[in-house]
Amino acid sequence: MASLPSHRRRFLIGLALAALLGVGLGALLLAGSLAAERRERAERKAVVTLSALAAVVDRASGGAAEEAAPAEPGGFGLGEELAAVAQNQTAAPQKDEGDKVRRAVARFAAGHPQVTAIRVVKFDGRQLEASTASADRGDKAAPRALVLDEKPIYDLGQKLRAAVEGNRQGAEGAARAPEIAIERRPQGVLMLAAPAERGGEVAGMVQIEMRAEREPAAFAWLPFLAAWIAPVVALLLLSLALGDRRWLLAAAAALLLVIDLWAYGRYASKILAAERRRSSEAVAAQIGEESKKAEALLAELAIPAAKPLAPTLWDADQFRQSRGLITATGTVDEGRLGELAGADAGRMTRSVATLAALALALLAFVGLGWAARTGTALREHRVAYAYTLPALIGMLLLVFFPFFYGIVISFTNANIYNTGKSVAETWVGVANYIDILSDFRMMKHTAEGLVWNYQNFYYTLLFTIGWTVSNVAIGVTLGLTLALILNLPGFALRPLYRVLLILPWAVPNYITSLIFKGMFHRQFGVVNQIIQLFGGPAVPWFERPFTSFLAVLTTNGWLSFPFMMVISLGALQSIPADLYEAARVDGATRWQQFRSITLPSLRPALVPAVILSVIWTFNMFNVIYLVSAGEPGGSTEILITQSYKLAFEQYRYGYAAAYSAIIFMILLAYGTWQNRVTRATEAIG
Amino acid sequence: MRSRRGDEPAHWPLHLFVGFMVLVTLYPIFWVLTIAFSGGQTPAIADVPPNATAWERVRAVIPWPEHVSIDNFRSLFADQPFARWLANSVVVAGFTTLLGVFLSCTAAYAFSRFRFPGRRTGLMAFLVSQMFPGTLMLIPLYIIIAQWLNLGSTFTGLVLVYTVTAIPFCVWMMKGYFDTIPKELEESALIDGASQATIFFRIVLPLAKPAVAVTALFSFMTGWNEFIQAATLMNREDMYTGPVGLRFFVGGFSQQWGYFAAGSIVAAIPVMVLFLFLQKYLVSGLTAGAVKG
Repeated sequence: MASLPSHRRRFLIGLALAALLGVGLGALLLAGSLAAERRERAERKAVVTLSALAAVVDRASGGAAEEAAPAEPGGFGLGEELAAVAQNQTAAPQKDEGDKVRRAVARFAAGHPQVTAIRVVKFDGRQLEASTASADRGDKAAPRALVLDEKPIYDLGQKLRAAVEGNRQGAEGAARAPEIAIERRPQGVLMLAAPAERGGEVAGMVQIEMRAEREPAAFAWLPFLAAWIAPVVALLLLSLALGDRRWLLAAAAALLLVIDLWAYGRYASKILAAERRRSSEAVAAQIGEESKKAEALLAELAIPAAKPLAPTLWDADQFRQSRGLITATGTVDEGRLGELAGADAGRMTRSVATLAALALALLAFVGLGWAARTGTALREHRVAYAYTLPALIGMLLLVFFPFFYGIVISFTNANIYNTGKSVAETWVGVANYIDILSDFRMMKHTAEGLVWNYQNFYYTLLFTIGWTVSNVAIGVTLGLTLALILNLPGFALRPLYRVLLILPWAVPNYITSLIFKGMFHRQFGVVNQIIQLFGGPAVPWFERPFTSFLAVLTTNGWLSFPFMMVISLGALQSIPADLYEAARVDGATRWQQFRSITLPSLRPALVPAVILSVIWTFNMFNVIYLVSAGEPGGSTEILITQSYKLAFEQYRYGYAAAYSAIIFMILLAYGTWQNRVTRATEAIG
Repeated sequence: MRSRRGDEPAHWPLHLFVGFMVLVTLYPIFWVLTIAFSGGQTPAIADVPPNATAWERVRAVIPWPEHVSIDNFRSLFADQPFARWLANSVVVAGFTTLLGVFLSCTAAYAFSRFRFPGRRTGLMAFLVSQMFPGTLMLIPLYIIIAQWLNLGSTFTGLVLVYTVTAIPFCVWMMKGYFDTIPKELEESALIDGASQATIFFRIVLPLAKPAVAVTALFSFMTGWNEFIQAATLMNREDMYTGPVGLRFFVGGFSQQWGYFAAGSIVAAIPVMVLFLFLQKYLVSGLTAGAVKG
């Protein structure tokens, strides 16, 4: 008799694998976070240098700064620090200021050995105002106009300008674009660029290229190995006492695993917090050094300081907002650091919980013997699995995984600018769902009084329901009426009518939508010309919600009634003629025949058709998106097109994913409900 | 005994109604033909001057071009990249069909012939996946395909997306057909010493040819007519598919209705012909699926 694998062995193997999975993934995450923190530290230090440079350039192009914008008393942001660069084009004395900028830039570069190139670009005249790049010497020396090859530099400046302006007038809640460009080049070279403003307008750009210090991170093998081996050894020792008892072993293994992962999480938190503190200390040191250098430089070039330098604001994020980690005295702000550490700890707890769930699942899978059974089944039915595997893998990777991934990002504030960040960093919990579902302001007060708020979720939901119900009603009415007529005995030309009436179904619906968009054209559209033919006024279809709704309704009505007609016709033709014969013999009237023969026979075909067409209409993206595009002002948007716009026009992926998940819930609820209703009707019928 | 005709209502008012519906049905189709053969780019059939006569007003709604011209078609292929877009559609829809049919045939065969743990779950999973509306998958799929795999604006990305969209329907359809092929054929082949693969490729697949053909045509039409995934994933103009290209002619501020109309006719005629042949399979497949779901 083959010896049965003991529970002890199973749980030991299971725990070893589960701990390897949990601790291994945890170690990888930690290493990733540490590397990200080191990268960010290098970037923060570089941003400090960039800000110092921008402040120097600002002062160097000096005189105009005073006339343009006197410093506000309440302190100023980096935007104003960077303001008034390249202000030297109108009068002759300003030529000197151009020289001053160039001297300051050259001096700055000399004082910073890690800086490889500095460029100052002025949009007015596409001017390269100053440059220390090795290529810009001799006859290519600044000042000069930018050449065609340098278009990327100019474009980068314009992108920053667009970002600043977009963020200033950006819609509430819309994703913000970064105002400082940071690009990593090969060989550890960092390229940074910031906009230079004058009088509130972005007038130029300061760009800097520098070698970033690289701090190679070593993978911490010892804690990893310890956290992996320790629980296994502990279980081995425990099992000597517990014996080969299944549930006791399971509980012990699970407990050990959770404690182990929790401890590893604590350790990782500490390491990460220490690394963050090091970052802020390094940045504080960098700020002290840069401000000293900048003051020395200004004194040396005898540039009058129009405004005092504000070095504590130099530690800015990509949106040029101060991170608030460095106090005015140039030390690390402990309170703020503590807050960030708290947020880190929250993220860490979530990560550990996820890892623990994964690891526990693996432990149960192996320890309780499911793994062994699965292995046996796989071997036994390997031909069947081989046949299904390719399709299943495709479905798992591109249907089920994206679906769950979509659910996950619905809990984050992912947008186009933070796609590189991990889920843990952008996690916002159920905030998106609360935002969408708790906003009941379907009406809002404006100058014209109380009007509908078309951006509100419940308005769109209501509109979608109205849209679905009216479309299905039109489809069923028209389709059923036509089918009843065409089914009349001896109705002439029936085959011809049937083929012609089915045509709209055959036309791809994106083409139908665009055709109707053309026919509802305000000026040249044939619909308006028909109205005018009968003496009516031309209707601007997409400028009022109601007419816009009529236009999309017409489009969808046109393309959806043939389906209902074909289904009803098929069902009508399958009713045996003797039923009617018998009814007539019994003296039933036409109406009675219709009520008790035709309608009940139609139901088995019509119910699934209605269910299908409700789902189709609810999701009829093409008609809305291509015909009305939600005009005017989003009033004819349905849920699906609204979520598309949130994702691909406002780039709020997380918010849009939550919106989509809510749509899915609605469909799921509808599906469950209709399933129950059809079952009930089947039971009665 | 009264004549049968006697208690029937007169048919002519019904003919009037059905005739009106036929007119409504055909009008947009004639409209697009008119614009296509008008040689111009406006969505108007004829100009209506400010003080138009009654005839001029009537003329503007009769769907027949003032001057019949094939300029729009010529210029669509000569001056516009429409041929390239159609070729993209052919490539994408073609590979979708090949991959989709191959994957779904093998899977459907296993689901039809073998009894194995997970069979019911697998079949249900295919069915449930049909409940995720395509647009809800857009965001995650866009992030995965375009940002992680870097397959934005490539044939591979779009083919993968279309294939998984087509698979569930195809699997259910093929499984239904395989179920009708008698098992005895395979059993006797097995006794003759044929391998599992030989049986599948040499015996079962040839027998299932009609179903394979129908499945293939459906997956081709899915790929050919799809708009929104293609519009999201294909950002480069030379990688547009037919639908995205047609929308490009009349989307935003572009008003090239002549090109749009001509292009629509070229793109729609093959699928319309296919559709009219296939609609009875489609109807039975859809309702069967709906009843099961």
